[in-house]
Amino acid sequence: MSGPSAPRPIDRTDTLGSAHTGVHDWWAERLSAMALAPLSLWFLAGIALHARSDYEAWLAWLREPLSAVLMMLLLISLFRHLELGLRVVIEDYMHSAAKVTALIAMRLFCFALAVAGLAATLRILLGH
Amino acid sequence: MSMIVRSSNQASRSRWLRRFPLPRNFGVGAESRIVPGRHWPAPPDARRVKTIQVYRYDPESGANPRLDSFEVDLEDCGPMVLDALIWIKSKVDSTLAFRRSCREGVCGSCAMNIDGTNWLACTRYLADTAPRASVYPLANLRVIKDLVPDQSHLFDQYRMIEPWLKAGSTVPQRERRQSIEERKRLDGYYECILCFCCTSGCPSHWWNADRFLGPAVLLQAWRWLVDSRDKARGERLDQLHDPFRLYRCHTILNCTRTCPKGLNPGRAIAQIKQLLFERQP
Amino acid sequence: MSQHPPISQAPRPLSPNIQHYRPQLTSVLSILHRLTGVLLAAAAIGLVLGLWAVASGPSGYTIARAACTSPPGLALLAIATWAFFMHLCGGIRHLLWDAGRGFELAAIYQGGWTIVGASVLLSALLWLAAWRLVP
Repeated sequence: MSGPSAPRPIDRTDTLGSAHTGVHDWWAERLSAMALAPLSLWFLAGIALHARSDYEAWLAWLREPLSAVLMMLLLISLFRHLELGLRVVIEDYMHSAAKVTALIAMRLFCFALAVAGLAATLRILLGH
Repeated sequence: MSMIVRSSNQASRSRWLRRFPLPRNFGVGAESRIVPGRHWPAPPDARRVKTIQVYRYDPESGANPRLDSFEVDLEDCGPMVLDALIWIKSKVDSTLAFRRSCREGVCGSCAMNIDGTNWLACTRYLADTAPRASVYPLANLRVIKDLVPDQSHLFDQYRMIEPWLKAGSTVPQRERRQSIEERKRLDGYYECILCFCCTSGCPSHWWNADRFLGPAVLLQAWRWLVDSRDKARGERLDQLHDPFRLYRCHTILNCTRTCPKGLNPGRAIAQIKQLLFERQP
Repeated sequence: MSQHPPISQAPRPLSPNIQHYRPQLTSVLSILHRLTGVLLAAAAIGLVLGLWAVASGPSGYTIARAACTSPPGLALLAIATWAFFMHLCGGIRHLLWDAGRGFELAAIYQGGWTIVGASVLLSALLWLAAWRLVP
């Protein structure tokens, strides 16, 4: 404590009581992780197998219905997991008013990236 | 083999990465910067000398904390770090301040940071310390004087979990019965001496000391949750169910690594999270 | 428990935390798990960009391929591969803890060294497979 006149941290923070949330996000991070494990391994295997392939081969792979579905599942679970993880990082290290701005920006960015990724996957699947 | 640590008693002795690669005063407020201190040589008749660096802070002068180095005669003092501190206080510098009581590892008073990790000074052998041992107060606490930290907000957090039996309003006619199995569930949790080595060593508590309860308090919270005689399990879980009070724990496990009683706060916290999950699938 | 104010009105110093506390396998692997996670978040942006490169046609694909096979591109991909396996193995270790297993100190340390070795090994295997085994 910095001296007799400084407020005790606990008086400042604990007058609002318990928020009664936490387990939902905790579980969502684990569930998305369990989905991500096989999906990302599939993705990595695909990248490795196509490391030396040309454009047509990539297109053929990503145009397969299974690949498209798995890619979309990967994007959804990836950005869900990523958003939760980054949220925890921001909450841990930022305590000023800028924290809320950072959280908003991060969440909107993740959502936008997820949608952009899904759009790209659909474009490959349905496009020229 | 020092690569696999089997007991928290094993002091970290690796020469690699003794500090995180950060500037020495990274994020340190001006009042907390440590300046070089005084060197106190051993008395001329000292037979076996060891140098111990000790964090000093004098509240009366208001000067910055400093690092003094004391040459201790190992032949003249007991085998533990606490014995060396007592020797320093009685033979060299009587102004050295530190908490101590039982000298046998059961009261928790002499918890401090020795060679970079938190432990009890009375159960750490001098022979297990570095050649130039360093003794600092428990990490991330305001220092009252020398090795005496201000633990008042840690005890405030302990008070917050209401660490007493809530067995209902009716007074029983006879003792509250508990089977052997039910009593066994308290083993590993009731033995906590509230030395706060674990909480002081938790990086998550460093960054969120005001709102994260920390491993010591959460281990005690589990102790009451798992007591079969307690009837307030739901309310206790409601109080803990908070993104900061409980869920700042990211299973870093510095707590289990450093507990001088060999307890496992990491496991206790994981069990609290499991209970919260079970009641909300 | 009354507190006597110090005679000097200077604020009490804070005892050092990360500046002094010894790094141990526990804290080092934990911060690595977080660092690799943040790295992979950046790589996820690359994933979306890569998908758009393929979606936009052969010219976009060519640019993406050139970027990925350039020396800095390959270096980034190598780092991202190791970061991925480190985070995956660390994640599995975390899931085991969440299930209540592996809390004894010996298990914590054995698991910790295992994921350090496994992440390097798996990264090397993947690159070897992509380089040598793929026609």
